[in-house]
Amino acid sequence: MKKNDKNLMNTGESSLGGGIKKKLQKDITPYLVFAIPLTFMAIFLVYPMVTTLMRAFMPAGNKMVLGSFSLKGFTKFFESSMYQKALANSFIVSISVTLLCIAIGVPMGYFVARVKMPGKSLILSLGILPIIMPSFVGAFTWVILLGRQGVLRHFLNLFLSPLGLEVPPIYGMFGMILCMTLTYYPFVFQLAYGAFASSNSLLEEAGMLMGADKWYIFRTITFPLILPSLGAGALLVFVRSIGNFGIAAIIGGEKYVLPTLIYFRVNGFWDLNGAASIAVVNVVITAFVLWLQKRVINKHEYETISATHSEIKLHEGKGIRIVAIVFSLFILILSLLPQFTIIIMSFFEKWVGLFPEGFTLAHYLRIPRYSSSEMINTFFLSILATVLAAILGSIIAYITERKKPKGAALLDLAIMAPFILPGTVVSVALLSAFSGSSVLKLTGTFTIIIIAYMVRRTPYVYRSVAASLSQLNPSLEEASTIAGANWFYTFRKVSVPLIMPAIISGSILTLTTLLQELSTTILLYSSKTRTVPIQIYGAVADGKLGEASALSVILLVVVFVIVYLMNRKQGQSIMSSFKMG
Amino acid sequence: MSLNLTYKQVNKIFGEKEKNPVHALNEVSFTIHPGELFCLLGPSGCGKTTLLRSTAGLESITSGKILYGDKDMTTIPPFRRNIGMVFQSFALYPHMNIFENVAYGLRIRKTPEQEVVRKVTEVMELVGLTEELKRNPSPTGLSGGQQQRVAIARALVYDPDLLLLDEPLANLDAKLRRYMRAEIRRIQKATNITTIFVTHDQEEAMAIGDRLAVLRRGVVEQIGTSDELYTNPDSAFVSNFIGKMNFFNATLTGKNQGRIDTIGTVVDVKPEKVRIDPDAKLSLGDAVLIGARPEQMEISKEIRKGAIEGKVLIIQHLGQVVRYEVLLDDKISETSMEIDMPALIAGVSEQDKVYVSLKEGMPFMFLPEERN
Repeated sequence: MKKNDKNLMNTGESSLGGGIKKKLQKDITPYLVFAIPLTFMAIFLVYPMVTTLMRAFMPAGNKMVLGSFSLKGFTKFFESSMYQKALANSFIVSISVTLLCIAIGVPMGYFVARVKMPGKSLILSLGILPIIMPSFVGAFTWVILLGRQGVLRHFLNLFLSPLGLEVPPIYGMFGMILCMTLTYYPFVFQLAYGAFASSNSLLEEAGMLMGADKWYIFRTITFPLILPSLGAGALLVFVRSIGNFGIAAIIGGEKYVLPTLIYFRVNGFWDLNGAASIAVVNVVITAFVLWLQKRVINKHEYETISATHSEIKLHEGKGIRIVAIVFSLFILILSLLPQFTIIIMSFFEKWVGLFPEGFTLAHYLRIPRYSSSEMINTFFLSILATVLAAILGSIIAYITERKKPKGAALLDLAIMAPFILPGTVVSVALLSAFSGSSVLKLTGTFTIIIIAYMVRRTPYVYRSVAASLSQLNPSLEEASTIAGANWFYTFRKVSVPLIMPAIISGSILTLTTLLQELSTTILLYSSKTRTVPIQIYGAVADGKLGEASALSVILLVVVFVIVYLMNRKQGQSIMSSFKMG
Repeated sequence: MSLNLTYKQVNKIFGEKEKNPVHALNEVSFTIHPGELFCLLGPSGCGKTTLLRSTAGLESITSGKILYGDKDMTTIPPFRRNIGMVFQSFALYPHMNIFENVAYGLRIRKTPEQEVVRKVTEVMELVGLTEELKRNPSPTGLSGGQQQRVAIARALVYDPDLLLLDEPLANLDAKLRRYMRAEIRRIQKATNITTIFVTHDQEEAMAIGDRLAVLRRGVVEQIGTSDELYTNPDSAFVSNFIGKMNFFNATLTGKNQGRIDTIGTVVDVKPEKVRIDPDAKLSLGDAVLIGARPEQMEISKEIRKGAIEGKVLIIQHLGQVVRYEVLLDDKISETSMEIDMPALIAGVSEQDKVYVSLKEGMPFMFLPEERN
């Protein structure tokens, strides 16, 4: 009783300001709850990353030999032409993809936001599909369309051959760039749309009154103001495309990029130390670009002075409406072509000429017999990892956002790091730390895959929950504390219900991306932990496109249904979980 | 060299083809003189902002003409009208420093750099921001009052033919608002640019404007100086919008005479205070309104000849006057009366019975149209 009184006094004080630390000294539950995720991050993120960094400076092989220092892994970038080409290819691909995504996404965002056209919400929801659908599925459908015996290629060549021209097969740089652009342009499109649609129209009207014409206004006002959003979108595209494994592996052909080179080192030579060196290079590039973007954005991040908006006037001219509709539809159809193709392909025996031949259900009927354990593995691994990532992400978000412990910024950085780490790099780090003579040997287990999934996807939930918490007035929680509830009770009864929508949207995104996860799994799976994406990858490599299509359609349908249900319940909030910083 | 700005039968109908079109401007016709500081005043939704935006060319009008001198501006796009405008939210560009914000209109006009610097310095001096221009921060780093000054400087720098101010003081706090309205008047008089000032605050309009137009539901109710509108309001609405007016339901009993309903007090109204259009063709026995401003009424504890019984609801001491809110029989007036006395009346407290009378020669007479 007496203790209770004291508690009440304390909370009263703290709500008057500045007493949070005092409260923490009394109630150690938050510390305990916090310790678990912190330990997890230390063991499975920090330790592997440190190990990778150490291995990167050791001689080739898979042995951890402390004290043996070698720059061999790095000097290869100067000696081996394969390394040099992979590095150059990575740069060319990711920079071209980023520029092309801007060239497509910005006009499309402007058109949908500012031009009067029908079916805007449909364009917006279809426009997000390419990034939530498995990207390697897109890659192998482009093989069906433009590969050596591609349908579309066949068709185009019919017209071009009289002219002595021929469309080359898609394999190589062109294929990677095309495929990644059509997969990742929605990042730029969606963010540009949001910025164009929400910008303050008074700023443009003021310019018009001062005598500026439409193009001058766009150059000096509209465009500079959307730069921060554009930078965020471009960064997402760059990070994704430099870390992409699936597309590069399927249609890269002879052309290696850094993620496929890592895979090659590990799978071909079990050279973990060499892979670690490449991973470090990969991460350094990504980190540099991230730093560059932050610097540029910080210079251009503006507060809006006032919230008064008047409605944005839409362009109604016939010319611009036609251009806008044709452009948007063309891009939309092109980027969704893989999804259509794959559905058709899954029902036919082969598709080499203009039309698919031999309708069959055999591809689907084979699944229970040959891929049932892969199905079970995929769902088991994804769901379990999602639940764990949701718990981990929410707790860390809650602590960093509400308790603001010392070093919160460092923690924020640590948890967001996997966001920019390519899947192959995370895998290499975990292999570096937990294979061979390691104290904790996890190679080939379900555990290592779940951990890799968690490390990579916790940022989604973390971001989503942190954003939601920063919008939430702390007085709601303080009211509960003043009413006599302890920390854990408040957390369960007030905080969690309020941030539940954010937890769910972060988790859904996590689940849908994990169901199609290839780049992490490819280095970690064993015969008993194979997943559906691995199975699809294998089928494509063996040329069994029908079987790959049937499996992909099932993934596609599952992912689509999940996202559709969430969108109906919560509206268009999925983009916010992709954003960072 | 400024010219007249003339509105000729301007109409604006929103959603003309839809089921419920809104007649935002209805046959608006008047002229603003060169160098004048003209206020558009009215409650929200009266059409004042629509009229301003139409003048700027940001809205197109349904019919009618807007003339600058003899030149028809109606179809000229906004960026060719040479107009300066200050928005309620200031609409300053967060991605430019204050120099570039102010210079924006000059850059569009391809003014040489030297000239740009000279004009920006000059106009910033006029609005009193010389010190801030030296630091040249982003507008987000300025206070509300300073942002306001930048917005005015930006609108003035390229010597517009017309300056439009859309509720420019609404985002400032009360003290700053009073200060800035004097500043705006000073700056306008210094530049002598014809200016239209939109506000819903009658005190602001009366303080700042050379002339005022009172709008209601898209119709111009009355145009005149502050004094004309206050002393000779044309309608019950204007009288109660420009200052406060108390109304008594009454019956016309003679040419300049009304009987306050139910109690039979007869009030004589001076001929110039009968504010009823001769075309209205009233006959004896028709309903009219007797009006009196708070300072044109008295209350007393004792009964007096012709006085009306009422109950004191609230007493507020406002400094130079004491305001009594008195409730009368609801047949006489549906709302309570506001009566200003020069000092507290001994022995009268809230809920007490008092007697209300009208000072001789003061009352107005209006048509009993809608008052609000």
